[in-house]
Amino acid sequence: MASGGISRTKLGEGASHESFLRHRNFRWLKIALTVCLVAILAYAMIDVQPRPNGGSAYGYLLGTIGALLILWLSLLGLRKRAMTSGSWSLKGWTSAHVYLGLSLVVIATLHTGFQLGWNIHTLAYALMMLVIASGVYGIIVYAVLPTQLSDSRAEMTRPQMVEAVAKFDTQLQTAAQPLSHDDAALVRDAFGEDPFRAGLIRRLSGRDARSSTEAALQAMRRRLAVTTGPEAAALDGVVTLLERKSAALERIRRHLRIRALLEVWLYMHVPLTFALIAALAAHIISVFFYW
Amino acid sequence: MTTSFRIAIVGSGPAGLSAAARAAQLGLSHVLLEKTDHLSDTIYKYQKGKHVMATPAQLVLRSDMSFEAGKREMVLGTWDQGADALKVNVTRNAEVTAISGAKGDFTLTLKNGETISAENVILAIGTQGNPNLMPCEGAALPHVQYQLDDPGEYVDEHITVIGAGDAGIENALGLAADPEQGNIVTIVNRTADFARAKSANVKLLEEARANGRMNVMPETTPALVEQGWLTLDTRDGQQRIRCDRIIARMGSAAPRAFVEGCGIEFSSPDREAFPRLSPQFESSAPGIYVIGALAGYPLIKHCMNQGHDVVEFINGNAALKPADEPILEAKFKGLPDRRSVDEWLEFLRANVEIFHELSPLQMREFMLDSEVAFYRAGSSIFERNEPGDSLFAIASGSVLVQISPTDPSITVPIGTGSIFGEVGLISGRPRGATIRTAADSILVEVPRMAALKLMATVPAAKRAILRISIERQLLQVFGSGLTSADLVEVIETAEVKNVKAGESIITEGEEGRDIFVIRQGSMVVEKKVGGHPLFLSYVPAGSYVGEMALIDGGPRTATVRAAIKSEVIRIDGDAFARLLAAKPDLLAKAKRDMAGRQQVNDFIEAKKEGFGGAVDMYSSVASFLVDNGIGEATDVLIIDEKLCVGCDNCERACADSHEGLSRLDREAGRTYAHLHVPTSCRHCEHPHCMADCPPNAIHRGPDGEVFIDDTCIGCGNCQRNCPYGVIRMEKVPPPKPSLLNWLFTGRGPGPGEPSRSWTNDRVSPETPKLAVKCDMCSGIEGGPACVRACPTGAAIRVAPEELLNVARLEREL
Amino acid sequence: MSFVLRSVSTSAQGREIVRTTRIDKDRLSIGRAPDSDVHLTDLAVALHHARVERRGDRLMIQAETGLFVALNGGKTNAGVIELAAGGDLRIGSHLLRFLPKAADTDDISVSLERVSEGEGKLDRDADRLFTLASVLPGKRAMAWLLVAAVLVVGLALPIKAWHDRQQRTAQFARFQADELWSSGHLSKGHANLQQNCGACHVTPFESVRDTACKTCHAKVHDHASPFRLARATPNQSGWASFQLSVKQAFNLPPGRCVDCHKEHEGPLDMAPTPQAFCSACHTDLKDRLPDAHIGDAADFERAHPEFRPTLISGWTGEKAQLRRLSLVQKPKEASGLKFPHALHLDKLGGVAQMGRRLGMGPQLDCTNCHRPEPSGAGFQPVEMERDCAACHSLDFARSGGTIRTLRHGDPAQLVAELRDFYGLRSAPLPPSLSPFARRTPGDAPALQERIQFNQGARLPGADAAIRSVFSRGGACYDCHTIDAPPPGSLDFRVHPVALSTRYLPHGWFDHRAHATQSCASCHGAAQSSSSSDLLIPGIATCRTCHGGESTAKPVASTCAMCHDYHAKEGAPTMIVRRLVRGQRRDAGIVQAKVSR
Repeated sequence: MASGGISRTKLGEGASHESFLRHRNFRWLKIALTVCLVAILAYAMIDVQPRPNGGSAYGYLLGTIGALLILWLSLLGLRKRAMTSGSWSLKGWTSAHVYLGLSLVVIATLHTGFQLGWNIHTLAYALMMLVIASGVYGIIVYAVLPTQLSDSRAEMTRPQMVEAVAKFDTQLQTAAQPLSHDDAALVRDAFGEDPFRAGLIRRLSGRDARSSTEAALQAMRRRLAVTTGPEAAALDGVVTLLERKSAALERIRRHLRIRALLEVWLYMHVPLTFALIAALAAHIISVFFYW
Repeated sequence: MTTSFRIAIVGSGPAGLSAAARAAQLGLSHVLLEKTDHLSDTIYKYQKGKHVMATPAQLVLRSDMSFEAGKREMVLGTWDQGADALKVNVTRNAEVTAISGAKGDFTLTLKNGETISAENVILAIGTQGNPNLMPCEGAALPHVQYQLDDPGEYVDEHITVIGAGDAGIENALGLAADPEQGNIVTIVNRTADFARAKSANVKLLEEARANGRMNVMPETTPALVEQGWLTLDTRDGQQRIRCDRIIARMGSAAPRAFVEGCGIEFSSPDREAFPRLSPQFESSAPGIYVIGALAGYPLIKHCMNQGHDVVEFINGNAALKPADEPILEAKFKGLPDRRSVDEWLEFLRANVEIFHELSPLQMREFMLDSEVAFYRAGSSIFERNEPGDSLFAIASGSVLVQISPTDPSITVPIGTGSIFGEVGLISGRPRGATIRTAADSILVEVPRMAALKLMATVPAAKRAILRISIERQLLQVFGSGLTSADLVEVIETAEVKNVKAGESIITEGEEGRDIFVIRQGSMVVEKKVGGHPLFLSYVPAGSYVGEMALIDGGPRTATVRAAIKSEVIRIDGDAFARLLAAKPDLLAKAKRDMAGRQQVNDFIEAKKEGFGGAVDMYSSVASFLVDNGIGEATDVLIIDEKLCVGCDNCERACADSHEGLSRLDREAGRTYAHLHVPTSCRHCEHPHCMADCPPNAIHRGPDGEVFIDDTCIGCGNCQRNCPYGVIRMEKVPPPKPSLLNWLFTGRGPGPGEPSRSWTNDRVSPETPKLAVKCDMCSGIEGGPACVRACPTGAAIRVAPEELLNVARLEREL
Repeated sequence: MSFVLRSVSTSAQGREIVRTTRIDKDRLSIGRAPDSDVHLTDLAVALHHARVERRGDRLMIQAETGLFVALNGGKTNAGVIELAAGGDLRIGSHLLRFLPKAADTDDISVSLERVSEGEGKLDRDADRLFTLASVLPGKRAMAWLLVAAVLVVGLALPIKAWHDRQQRTAQFARFQADELWSSGHLSKGHANLQQNCGACHVTPFESVRDTACKTCHAKVHDHASPFRLARATPNQSGWASFQLSVKQAFNLPPGRCVDCHKEHEGPLDMAPTPQAFCSACHTDLKDRLPDAHIGDAADFERAHPEFRPTLISGWTGEKAQLRRLSLVQKPKEASGLKFPHALHLDKLGGVAQMGRRLGMGPQLDCTNCHRPEPSGAGFQPVEMERDCAACHSLDFARSGGTIRTLRHGDPAQLVAELRDFYGLRSAPLPPSLSPFARRTPGDAPALQERIQFNQGARLPGADAAIRSVFSRGGACYDCHTIDAPPPGSLDFRVHPVALSTRYLPHGWFDHRAHATQSCASCHGAAQSSSSSDLLIPGIATCRTCHGGESTAKPVASTCAMCHDYHAKEGAPTMIVRRLVRGQRRDAGIVQAKVSR
């Protein structure tokens, strides 16, 4: 079927939706494990006097490898955005990024020779560990959340979700016309509600205790219970609309929550990576400065 | 009273206008009759500010009217000025209702009863035709209008739109869009469903109805129009509604009736057919000349050139060569012996069977679209499985078809005058065999559009192609050393049958021995298990079904229904049985195929016992995919939402590898069992977008991708025609600051498609919107960016066969 | 007498839509209720919100009790508009503008428009709204911030600290930013340099040089002259040479102090130099330095030459010749003494008995004569008076209470004393010859005469005593080698004596460390019948316990155990350090010794 430049996935090859973790049947995992194993063995073999440290020949070797690795790993951000031609696959890169990144834990720790202290060198190490930790979180959510993300949007696109809410507002606007001044006020508060004003915490929590829509809904329900006649009919309409709206809001919040969970770690991972690179530079320069 | 002219030109479009201008220039007495109160109505009806293109670029403009690409207003302006400057004698509001008389003395009757007599008539009325009128009393009232220029200008009115075609629905939606305008819009439709409208429009309509922005009245026809009121015949009796304005969009009658009324013959009864014309554009009615869109030339430049030329001809200038002469000369330059363009045209017409019926003019026009080339013996024309939908005709020499995929030595010759490549043309599938030239040959390559046009205009050609294609297709499908001789009987009994989507050609349990060869489209094979249909397999075009009942006897074992609108060749069972009897190895092959399918069926049914869930899943997923048009796809982007983290990197990658516009909308589109079919091109076997592209800018590329080349004029037809809504009309954004620049300083919109506002701030409002769609990243090393750029491996591109392959089930169990 | 209400709204395309209604009343009711004259669909408006009544040339505005309107911008419950002037009345999001009444007409034209959208429309870029980017500070900003912070703390400040030190402005007592660069604590010895990176890291980007070390460690003895060192170091090959070239590339010249004395390894001692460091050159030193006076050695257990003690090989006149001879050659030592160890250590012999009589235990042992140095590392030289005289007495006469002993160490004096001893018992000198008589000028003949007298007056007793002292059986003869004089003469010659204090000057042996062993386990004294036997044990003996750096033997011994890179007599630094670090009680003493 496929010919020329087009690379179509051949499901026959069993490559049907092979995730970045299983990429090429765990190629990078294997590579990373080998690297770690070799590093550990070498560490055990080579007897550095008086005790293992980054200043030994092997230490410098590990250090160089680690530094280059870090720089390469940080290039993923570039790779992901630079759509150059060529038969690279970002999935492969991610896979490598994940596993080689994890292998850094071993390489860098061996580089330290378990000598930590309050100095720039340990700062770099700590930053790296933080970056890796956040990355691990990323791996986990990437593995777990997509399904929920898909469910939560129920074939709706983001703009549609937003429109849905706006639509209910306009409908409420008309439906609430016959309401008394006070009731109308409540409904008006509901208009104000903007699920996107929620900060990080509320987004992560996925619910909003002071949802004005919810408040209005409750109030309207109470009023509905005690009113009769044409006004009741109006109230009824408003209540149903409010229910729909709060359902729509609920969906948005759920979606926001999952998205937040999927994204939040990057706000640690990326800036810390830059900090790490800076610390790495300082680390290396300092070593040569006081050579 | 009547006045007489040397030339009467009907229709003031580009063609008519140019003709009139020429006449004025030559000082011939002439009149230009325009039915509306303004010149060139068709372009006048373009939306405001629409950019008008000047294609084809290589064609020189030969007219006294100047014309270059620009905004609608600008173009119309220059023409109005031109007309005045050249003192063109225009009569507006003069709709010609009839033309009588003969060369030298024609009488043109106008709507208002006036008559005009002229020696020659030039028909340049285009194909727009006249809108169908309200078939009821009061249709003439002033508040009944047949088009809607600006929905925004009506406020607080009761407006009724008659006719729920796309035009009608779009108008109605436009009128009801803005609640501020406070219009009360009603749309009236004759039938119960909106079959003629695009699904997208229908959905919007339903939505508008749901939230009460519009009331929709199906199965309703207008009965009486009064000032302020409209009486309707509904399913349950008459109904009188308030109505300040009526927009009647009930389609338009093609001008053909009128044209034939003038005694002009068409080349065929097909709807697409054009009048038969002489090289001087003279129709079968001497003295009446047909030019422009009506003659089959939709492009403005063509029209204007013809307008110029035809007047020259009438004025007796026989020596004049058509403006496209140089283009043709260029085409023929590569051929061995020196001949003039006309000689070559004649040579081709005479040698190739399917060209026989073409008029010289058609031939000329036809060759503009087609290519002709000389091939040395033994050179390969195309390879097996290489995509391609062009038709080849052998003007001299001959070719060999390698029918066996394995052994190139097994070949079938095709001689001079015949054609090949028609299977690709008809089924839209990759080439079935490799073809090499047997001797030095001159071959005409006819692109898909040209071929279809040919078939539409020349019945003989159509018949010939059909016959050959059936025979070839059978040979290809059954292979195993059959020769056309063996097939004679089968072909006699064979009939081509159109199947609507969902319609079944074989029904489980029924008797029947016929064999069906799928010519176009694709089928799904289903079996009733425990009451509900279970998806067994997907049968693409170019394969056959129904052999089981024939060989084993007994009733049909499974139902075969069309996944999409398809075309099958129905072969009489008995005839085929005799063929089988005569050809043991064909029988063997049939048995093999059958065994294979039997195996799949048994496998699935077996699994069904054990892993009901999995099979149901597989089956339902498969039918979901088929419902979403995978059936007619050649390549489709699928997103596994078990892996998709919604980073939209696919969209960004798409935009960044295609001048900043994304051809895919990840979120839009259906999802089933976390299998998401995003809104992106499926590269259909028979692309709907190609159906009506004025500059014929949509092609199928070397990798099977359907792409739009840079001759796009931004008319938006393809967008309207695509049932999957994967084509966008967009302005190309300017280049962004470099990536690193953004990365470090945050300057510019960053990767991916820049926001509309960003683009609008930077490109002039004049810049035309162009159609953009997925081109499968052809020519970009590494293939589709969306897939390459997916960090988690959620996005893949697959051919439907792969996706609907039972092997998947096997793996998953 | 009517209001003309022009309600203005704008369509989606921004087109202005004006709907004009005429209300033929002189009072307007304004509210959300559909029946009000001016119907405002804004929920902020009450059903019946306000009334406008025309009274002559004024409009009386009256809001329902508890409700308010904004009249010309001022919030009020009731108010007045002069028709001539007109005025703005704002209710909720609607603005009613009463235009100044034209003179010619009686109508009051009012324009009504919605000034602000009541409800919060969500009309922003949806896709962005869903990302955290809309609520969190940008990644880019955070990144730059962190980068700046790290660079300042980790790079700028330390460099400043370095610069200050160059300017001598920094005092080392307190914390210095460039300590952040310290990869670990300095060794105990250098602890005081913790704040003073510049002490060793003198110039930036130049590795620590020996000059830096020598500013303090001035007296450290060089291993050998740099030239010999250079010739001695083998040509590296393969991995080693690669390492070397890398080091060169990174400007790390080989053979610097810090090559072995690694720093920043925590507040510990500097660890002993690994054997490899020595063996690198010494395994095949002779190939490169043929004139080297030491043998090749790679590992004590496997590749170490037999010991080559420095001993007294013979005499040139009064001077003893020292030579280093390998034990392989079974060298004899010419100390000039007669001391058969076997005889003295014999349990049964007369020596033993004599010892018993003198209360020296059942028999003699080494400690009776060999007394350890205070440090216990070596032994004090044997002394005649202290270690031998107990048995080998030099008494020869008793006069009154005193015992006269022969003088030791000066044979001539001894002879003289003996003569005197006997001479005083002979005929007295004529007074004229008395040695005590006053000398007067011109009495030289008398002196001469006196000496002749003395000579003439020799007694046979003295001569016999002298002869007997020096001859077999005499006190001297027991231990010393004596040349007999020609017959008739009495001048016996006693050979000079020398004892070597340290046989292995380049190695180090600590007897205290071997206190658990008996002397005999190494020194075969009991079998030695002649003092010329060399009782230094061979390497084989050591190897019974001592192995190489890595060995199965009970004691793994690197070169540093016996040898010291910075050659000096006394204990190797390693040993000293071990002692100093209090593994031994008598640390102080040893230091004293070392600094000797």
